[in-house]
Amino acid sequence: MFKKISAGWVFAIGLILMFFLDGSISFVFSPELFNFPNSAVPCLTVLWLELTLIFADRKSLHLMFWAAVVGFIFDMYYMGLLGVFVFILPLVIYLSRIIYEALPANFLSGFLVYFIMITLVEGLSCFANVIVGTASVNMADFLVETLAPTLALNLVLFALLYFPVDGLYRAVSR
Amino acid sequence: MQKFFSNRKLVIVIVCLIISGGLMGVSVAIRDKSNTPPVIQQAGNDIVGFADRAVAMPMNGVRHGFVSIKNLLNTYEENERLKSKVNDLTQTKVKDETLTRENKQLKRQLKVGKTLTSYSKINAAVITRSPSSWNSQVVINKGENAGIKKNMPVIAGKGLIGTISEVNKTNSKVVLVSNTAQNSNRFAVQIVSSSNKVVNGIISSYDASKNEITMGNITSKAKIKKGDRVATSGLGGVMPKGIYVGQVSKVSADDYGLAKKVYIKPAANLNDIEIVSVAVRDTGVN
Repeated sequence: MFKKISAGWVFAIGLILMFFLDGSISFVFSPELFNFPNSAVPCLTVLWLELTLIFADRKSLHLMFWAAVVGFIFDMYYMGLLGVFVFILPLVIYLSRIIYEALPANFLSGFLVYFIMITLVEGLSCFANVIVGTASVNMADFLVETLAPTLALNLVLFALLYFPVDGLYRAVSR
Repeated sequence: MQKFFSNRKLVIVIVCLIISGGLMGVSVAIRDKSNTPPVIQQAGNDIVGFADRAVAMPMNGVRHGFVSIKNLLNTYEENERLKSKVNDLTQTKVKDETLTRENKQLKRQLKVGKTLTSYSKINAAVITRSPSSWNSQVVINKGENAGIKKNMPVIAGKGLIGTISEVNKTNSKVVLVSNTAQNSNRFAVQIVSSSNKVVNGIISSYDASKNEITMGNITSKAKIKKGDRVATSGLGGVMPKGIYVGQVSKVSADDYGLAKKVYIKPAANLNDIEIVSVAVRDTGVN
């Protein structure tokens, strides 16, 4: 049944879906996720890119290019501040790719790499917003109230989605 | 120098940083201007907004389900509480109607047209929220085509929740009052104190550690008490008068001890927004 669908299509549809789910989950579960003063931000787009990097054939998908495209739409539609995610997302993919050249790609290494990448995404985007004055957060508050809940949420999502996505890519590449 | 430029990766990084800085600068500059974003960005946002509705609809359906169950469980308690309020409300409503009619007649007699308090509402549904902790923005499904303009106030539930920050053709972004940006929420408000003195001021910042908005630089000597109501004053910009913002929770001296600083607890629940109304001030003489 899956034979006619290529990994590229799965990647593209998943990417679009995860992009919109990021916003929808933030909205639907806002009483829980943005429960004052903590805020846990879902990063399903980053998760999808990372999992694709682990499971799919990296060369044929042009991951960095698509990361930049989805980053640009992210900036435009959600943030209204251009030039942040359009560079952060490809950077994250590039760094993970370097790490996976040295590490075996399994659940544990994926977990650790994802941990580092979420920290990078949140940290850099916060830094960019502070520089241009669209946010005023201090370091301690950011670490405790934003980064910690965000990491917790996203690592749970990673654990939940790792094996299903593995199965999905295996099924289409068979 | 030769070695510096031969390092391809370093050049790429620097070029990326420059482009990134440029783009950020441009978008901040555009945000501060009164007109809408450039046509390309607008078109992009419209297309993405349409696609988002397909994903947002089932998710909102799930939310409706949860909310219904929660409401069902609370019904008894709520009913008891509301019963006591109904009588009071009817009385207020009748009084309100009488006063509105009287006000209209008096205005006609005095040949006063639309004043700052007259506004109409555009109702809109929330599509999505920015997945970001400091950028408290939601996207609503009405835009320029429906008559929405930048900086218009947005009301949900009990009171003001924020202002329009970006207008596209078919959707627009709302910055909630809980946004921490230095230049996002500036609107004129007034407090009517218990001794009937009016204190005017401007919302100056959001205090993230207390979840309260603050109103600074008040030099008036009028006594402001905890619990006094704060509403928009309609001075300057496109905001009408008399939209409820919240209650005063604390009054203190500012950092230099010369003026007062008032902490305001927002009335609306900023995390439970589904349907909002955008208030459009009626201008001109009827």
